[in-house]
Amino acid sequence: MPGANGAIVSIRNLSKIYMQGDTKIAALNRISVDIKAGEFLTLMGPSGSGKSTLLHIIAGIDRPTEGECRVQGVDVARLNESQLADWRNQNVGFVFQTFNLIPVLTAHENVELPLLLTRLSRANRRRQVETALELVGLSDRARHLPRQLSGGQEQRVAIARALVTDPAIIVADEPTGNLDSQSANDVLGVLQSLSRQAGKTVIMVTHDPKAAAFGSRTIHLEKGELLNGTT
Amino acid sequence: MTIASFIAKNALRNKRRAMLSILSVAVSLFLLVALQVVLREITLPPEDVGAALRVAVRNKISLANPLPARQLAIIERVPGIDAVSPFTWFGGKYKNEENMTFAQFAMDAKKLRHIFGEAKMSEAEYRDFEETKDSCILGKLTANKYKLKVGDRITLDSTIYPCALSFKIAGIYSGTIDDRNMLFHQEYLDEGCGTEGSVGMWWLKVKSIEDMPKVIETINRSFANSSAEVRAETERAFQLSFISMIGNVKVFVASISSVVVFTLVLVAASTMSMAVRERLRELAILKAVGFRRRELFGLILAESFGLAMAGALLGIGGAYALFTFGSVPKMTNGIFVVLEVTPKIIALAGLVAATLGIIASIAPSISVARMSVVDGLRTLD
Repeated sequence: MPGANGAIVSIRNLSKIYMQGDTKIAALNRISVDIKAGEFLTLMGPSGSGKSTLLHIIAGIDRPTEGECRVQGVDVARLNESQLADWRNQNVGFVFQTFNLIPVLTAHENVELPLLLTRLSRANRRRQVETALELVGLSDRARHLPRQLSGGQEQRVAIARALVTDPAIIVADEPTGNLDSQSANDVLGVLQSLSRQAGKTVIMVTHDPKAAAFGSRTIHLEKGELLNGTT
Repeated sequence: MTIASFIAKNALRNKRRAMLSILSVAVSLFLLVALQVVLREITLPPEDVGAALRVAVRNKISLANPLPARQLAIIERVPGIDAVSPFTWFGGKYKNEENMTFAQFAMDAKKLRHIFGEAKMSEAEYRDFEETKDSCILGKLTANKYKLKVGDRITLDSTIYPCALSFKIAGIYSGTIDDRNMLFHQEYLDEGCGTEGSVGMWWLKVKSIEDMPKVIETINRSFANSSAEVRAETERAFQLSFISMIGNVKVFVASISSVVVFTLVLVAASTMSMAVRERLRELAILKAVGFRRRELFGLILAESFGLAMAGALLGIGGAYALFTFGSVPKMTNGIFVVLEVTPKIIALAGLVAATLGIIASIAPSISVARMSVVDGLRTLD
C-alpha cells in the first residue's frame, strides 16, 4: 500500500556497488526518490547511468548493496528468495525490450504463465487472461504463437502478461527499443492508459525522449546519481 | 494450460532432439533388458515339471568320459528308483550344417515316458518309437525348422563316433522346456557305431522326493573307488554345473550393463543441459514472474523424467513384446528356447530410467538456481 506521502515506491540512500577485481563500481550512488501510486515515471539517462539497475531493484529482481527500497511498504531487500518470488508474482508486472515470450506457447498461454502459480481455477484463469488480452486489444490473437505476431503485438502480449495478476506496479525496460515508431506508439499508449485509467504505477526505462513524453514524470540518472527529476 | 502441458510443450519444442533423446534411452534400455534376460536364462535355466524327481549320473572325472553299461544292473537295484535309462550324446551333424542346433541322445526308448514324461506325443507315436529300433523322436521346434514330419527319414553324421546313422521319425514331441532335441535307441547306436558296453551317462527317476538324497548317496557310494566313479546329482545341480563352466558371466554382463547405463547418463545429462542452456532467458522470465527455484527445478526434472520414461516405455516395452511374443528360438538360431522378461528385470530397467531422468536434471537445475534474473535476461540466444 502507498506510504504516508502517497508513495508506492520509497527509495532512501540506495546504492548498488559491483566489484571488478579490486575496483568498486557504483551502479547507483545513494539514490533517494519517491514514486507515487498511479504515476507513469520514466527513467532516462545515458548507457551505464544505472537506470536499469534501479528498475531491477524496484522490481525485486536485484538487491541493493546499501539503502532501502520499500514497495507498497515492503522492504524488498529483506525478503528471501522464495518470498521475493511470491511478492513479484503478486505485485509486479514485467515488460522487457525483447518481449521474452515463450515461443512454444500461444499468446493466451504466455499471458497465463504467472497465473499458474496462483490457486485460481482454470475457468478463472481463462477469464483473467481474456480480460488482459482485451485490455491490450489482442483478443483475436489469443491462439497465435509469438512467431505469428508482429513485434508490436508481441510486446502487447508481454504487457498483458504483466497485467494478468493485477499487480500494482508495471516495470518496463526499454519496451519500445525493438519496435517501429507506429508499434512503439501503440505500446506506449497502452502503458499510458494503464496508468491513467487503471491506476497502475508504471515505471519505464527509455533512451527515447519521445517515449518519455508519454510519462507523467521523468527522472534523469547519470553515473549512478539522480539529477533533478522533472514533471 | 496446465503445468503438465507446459512441461510437455517444452519437452517437445525441439522434436528432433526429443525423439533422439527418447530413442537413445529406448535402445539402451532395450539392450540392458536383453542382457539381463540372457543372463537370467543362462544362470537360472528353467525347470521342467518332472525335474524334481530326476537324477543325473555321470562320470565323476568329466562328462565327456563314458560310463560302463554294466552299471545299469547295480543302479536298477538301488531302492527308491522308478526308472533308469542310458543317455549318450551322439553329436550328429545334419545336412552338412556348420553348427548343430539340436542335440541328439541315445536312450532306452521304453523308459522315455517314465523319466521324461513332459514330452507329449500321441500314443501311436510312443509305441512306434518304442518298437522301431532305427526310429527317433524329434522336438517340435527342430521339426518345424527343417520341415520334417512323422515318417520322414533323416541321416546324421556323428562328430564323435566314426559312423553315420539313418533314422525314421516316429514322433514329434512338445511340452518340454527344450523342444529341440532328438532321442533314439541306445541299442541302435551300439550296433551302428560300435559303442556297445559304454554309455554317456544315466538318467533316472526316483519314486518320491524323499527318496532323492538316499538314492544319490547310494549311487555315489556304490561306484566309489571303482574304475568308473560317478557323480549322481539332481537335475538342477547338473544344469548349474554347466553354467559354472562359462566363467563369471554375471560380472561380464554387469560390466557391459554398467557401461551402457553410464554412457546413457552422460548423453542424457548433456542433452538436458543443452536444452536448458538454450532457454536460460525464458527461465529467467519465469523467475521474474514468480517461479521459485524449486518450481523451476520441478519443471526441469519433470521434463527430463518424462523423456526418460518415454524412452523406457519404448525400450522396455519393445523388449518385452519381442521376447514374449516373438519366436526366441528363431531369433537366437536355436540357442535359447525362452527368454523371459520378468517383473524384476522390468523394475530394474524402470529404475535405471527414473534415476537417469533425475540425474540428467541435476546439473541444469543447479545452474538455473544459481542464475540471477538479471544475468539470465542478459543471456544471448
